Amino acid sequence: MLDFLKSTVGRKYIMGLTGLVWMGFVLAHMAGNMLILFSTDAFNAYGHAIVSNKPLLFVAETVLLLTLIVHVTTAISLTIENRAAKKSRYAVQPTGVKSTSWASRNMGFQGSLILCFIILHLITFKYGAHYETTVNGVVMRDLAKLMFEVFTQPGYVIWYVVCLILLMFHLSHGVHSVFQSFGFLERKMQAGLKTFAWIYALIVVGGFLSQPLYVFFIHQ
Amino acid sequence: MSVILDSKVPGGSLESKWTDHKFHMKLVNPANKRKHSVIVIGTGLAGGAAAASLGELGYKVKAFCVQDSPRRAHSVAAQGGINGAKNYQNDGDSVQRLFYDTIKGGDFRAREANVYRLAEVSVNIIDQAVAQGVPLAREYGGMLANRSFGGAQVSRTFYARGQTGQQLLLGAYSAMMRQVDAGSVELHARSEMLDLVVVDGKARGVIVRNLITGAIEAHEADAVVIASGGYSNVFYLSTNAMACAVTASWKAHKRGSYMANPCYTQIHPTCIPVHGENQSKLTLMSESLRNDGRVWVSKKAGDMRKPADIPENERDYYLERIYPSFGNLAPRDVASRQAKYLIDKGFGVLGEEAVYLDFKESIGRLGEDKISERYGNLFQMYDKITGENPYKTPMRIYPAPHYTMGGLWVDYNLMSTIPGLFVAGEANFSDHGANRLGASALMQGLADGYFVIPSTIGDYIANTKLDKVTTTNDAFKNAENDVKTNVSRLMNIKGERTVESFHKELGHIMWENCGMARNKQGLTGAIDQIKKLREEFNHNVRIPGEANRINRELEKAGRVADFIELGELMCRDALVREESCGGHFREEHQVDGEAKRDDTNFCHVAAWEWNGSADKAQTRHQEDLKFENIKLATRSYK
Amino acid sequence: MDNKKPINLTLKVWRQQNTNSDGKFVEYDAKTVSPDASFLEMLDAVNEEIIKKGDEPISFDHDCREGICGSCGFMINGNAHGPQKGTTICQLHMRNFKDGEKLVLEPWSAKAFPIMKDLMVDRTAFDRIISSGGFISTNTGSAAEANSTPIPKPDADEAFLSAACIGCGACVASCKNASAALFTSAKISHLAHLPQGAVEKDKRALDMVAQMDAEGFGACTSTGACSAACPKEISLINIAKMNREYLRASITKKQEMAGGGEG
Repeated sequence: MLDFLKSTVGRKYIMGLTGLVWMGFVLAHMAGNMLILFSTDAFNAYGHAIVSNKPLLFVAETVLLLTLIVHVTTAISLTIENRAAKKSRYAVQPTGVKSTSWASRNMGFQGSLILCFIILHLITFKYGAHYETTVNGVVMRDLAKLMFEVFTQPGYVIWYVVCLILLMFHLSHGVHSVFQSFGFLERKMQAGLKTFAWIYALIVVGGFLSQPLYVFFIHQ
Repeated sequence: MSVILDSKVPGGSLESKWTDHKFHMKLVNPANKRKHSVIVIGTGLAGGAAAASLGELGYKVKAFCVQDSPRRAHSVAAQGGINGAKNYQNDGDSVQRLFYDTIKGGDFRAREANVYRLAEVSVNIIDQAVAQGVPLAREYGGMLANRSFGGAQVSRTFYARGQTGQQLLLGAYSAMMRQVDAGSVELHARSEMLDLVVVDGKARGVIVRNLITGAIEAHEADAVVIASGGYSNVFYLSTNAMACAVTASWKAHKRGSYMANPCYTQIHPTCIPVHGENQSKLTLMSESLRNDGRVWVSKKAGDMRKPADIPENERDYYLERIYPSFGNLAPRDVASRQAKYLIDKGFGVLGEEAVYLDFKESIGRLGEDKISERYGNLFQMYDKITGENPYKTPMRIYPAPHYTMGGLWVDYNLMSTIPGLFVAGEANFSDHGANRLGASALMQGLADGYFVIPSTIGDYIANTKLDKVTTTNDAFKNAENDVKTNVSRLMNIKGERTVESFHKELGHIMWENCGMARNKQGLTGAIDQIKKLREEFNHNVRIPGEANRINRELEKAGRVADFIELGELMCRDALVREESCGGHFREEHQVDGEAKRDDTNFCHVAAWEWNGSADKAQTRHQEDLKFENIKLATRSYK
Repeated sequence: MDNKKPINLTLKVWRQQNTNSDGKFVEYDAKTVSPDASFLEMLDAVNEEIIKKGDEPISFDHDCREGICGSCGFMINGNAHGPQKGTTICQLHMRNFKDGEKLVLEPWSAKAFPIMKDLMVDRTAFDRIISSGGFISTNTGSAAEANSTPIPKPDADEAFLSAACIGCGACVASCKNASAALFTSAKISHLAHLPQGAVEKDKRALDMVAQMDAEGFGACTSTGACSAACPKEISLINIAKMNREYLRASITKKQEMAGGGEG
């Protein structure tokens, strides 16, 4: 088993598996947050429901944190080895039919920024200002208020938009790559898979983008 | 003094010779095999298969190749297929028929017993290849597919699209690499054999140049196998790879191995025509294309119309016209000669040296998809080279040097005139007579490598007293010194002309005088020209760089020097053979453009003995050919 | 017919004496190049001029010049085997270039492919990957009748497509990680598609991947550069197949019995 984990192929599976956990998470996170567009109470109630289920929250947070750490450390180890394997870069970069997508070539860069984003995101929201509100007689955290506060600041919105676009590239290649790593890719699925990966990335990022943009342009 | 060579063909009926012979061979017991070593020069189908099989048997094998990997040997480029007398098509094929077709295809200039053995083991080769995972083409039912090749009226050719040679070679290569992993084969890539070491009259080793460091290295063994391919590059432009050379064979020749029938060369009818002075090689378009392509020229000489503008009734499908029973699948020598004949008379298409190979009819009948499935990669290659789409316009093709039937003389055991020196594949002269049929080269290479050499080498080792030799032996020291002296001689000429220019000039002389048609005057003149060229080469060639590192010019120079000497011998051989047979066409000997054999005076193999110096003409010896199972007849494909 | 007008080019070529020495770019002019010439024929002509001047010609590997031996290959303007898809350099013709173009020629770059001289690299790592398991263990003479195991045409075709690899190294060269995943997977997948190869498929996948990693090739990050550069257009599905084979083999790995089979 150790051989498997040390091999390039094995670590590819690890990257894919941990990536898959986060793919599911961002999709769910995006879907839940869409409530902000419809009702602040519903949004707050949804957030409250999640934090109220302590065991579930603990499991979810632990899984997310662990997979993130594994994803990042594996990525770092692979990047170091891959740089060493390449020895030197070419004087000229490929063009035309033999070039590759920007997303696929810059997963490390995107990932690094996304990691920063995640940390700042947690500081801003999870550990940010604690407002309270009452929905249907239950006292709960007013996350919507915090969200409105944050997303009315142009700097924040721009930072979010940039990071989300990077996430879109990261996901588009990641989803494609995960099926590659897992060995699901059959000849007839090849063309469809790239499209699928992009649709998924667009849905997730489009959803997420709609939230700050809604707040910034419409809600206020 | 001329001697009659003994082919050591075993007695008994043709059908039982090989089986009986194998039974009577002495065996080397498994424990002793480990104590015996064999050197294999070349890692193509013959060499790779021999190295793998000898390694499996337990011998210590050292395999050498000039390429950076054994997988790149030029067998890789064979396109169309490999014959096997399986009769899967139930179309009347048999070992007997493959034997007959090959003897007739070779214009009755091959040894019956060898050819029969080749046909006999052809079926085992297909089994072996399939077991190795060679992805030969299959029918929808999962069974192996076949197609037809020239000179045969049955479908017995197995294939893997247009990459049969590649797939078979990768099979042999993988088998050999398995032995490398097992430790029984030691691989020396980027190494070129520059001499054979003969101790007490037996081949006991080789001197090689390490092409990376330039070091001259000696290697000893109990037997040596040369499987270094043919010498078509003597023509400069040929379908052979750039590194294909006669060098290994020629060094052996100079140490006493006779060179047989050097003038038997094959000019393949379907190659992409020459485009210009800077062209470095010619590209073959597989003979399999003639399954579905029709060869034609305009009925009008000097017709400059585009092919599409020439109506059907003004086209001359000359192979179908002259050879109705074989049509477009006439053998190579015949098809090439007819193309040359028509072009010489001004029928070349668009005023060029080319004829058309047209797929319009078969695309109409089978659809573009089917044609693409069969020949996709060939069509693509043609498109890349010429910039023309063969699905739309007919291919332009012209004959080109492709294969050499001549080579080192070997007996039935594939042993040369030097005991312990075995020769396999295209490097030997044995099985194709004066013309090789399509899809038979892969068959012969693998037959020699997988099935013949491993048996006969065992017999030789078991029957021969082999004293221990080491590379400190005088013979090794002397050979090593000779090689070093020759390398520094070449480096020190420091002349004006590039190696390439000498090679081009030699090629030109050979193509004009010893190509598709030969005559006394041309050959005599060519011998003089080649002598002068040799003189000039020896004092005017320029090799830049140093000998003690990678030096491609030095490598080429050594090969060209050998080609020059060989070229002279080819012309001499062609001059003495006062008849036309197969690929050897003497203009003086013909009936209506067809070859006229002289069985009374030339039903023999000519084997030439080196006389110590390029300035002394070689001595011609003979091996008489006896046809006991097939009646000598005029070869007709009409 | 194409335009037959000769073109002129400037070449910026990587020159390096041997593995240990430093290299540098040197500029050469390629004058009056026929559009019908192949790229290597153009280089031959440049080399003839260099030799006439008394210098050492540019070294590059090449042999069959018909796109099948896999000897040739270097980077032309950052593209492995040049700009044309599905083509080796020897099959790349000058009609694909414009008059006055400047071309940068560099050798394959990968730690596992040390530069030997100029545009030549050492690709013996590929041979070692094959010898670690890229074969079916069948000795000469032990084969069964060829038609005794029918193989469905789609499987045979799929095996063929994988087996078409020529081992040129363009996949490694074009990959930003110098990964040999496409090369290794093509062999694993070729043999795994055939019933003859199934017996050893677990061992083969484990051994070949281990050797690939040991040679110092990088990891696959699915950029697809390899397949885009591959002259035989070997598909990425081979890598998927390899991963699957490797995963299964790692999970179901059987213990080899010491001394088994001794009578």
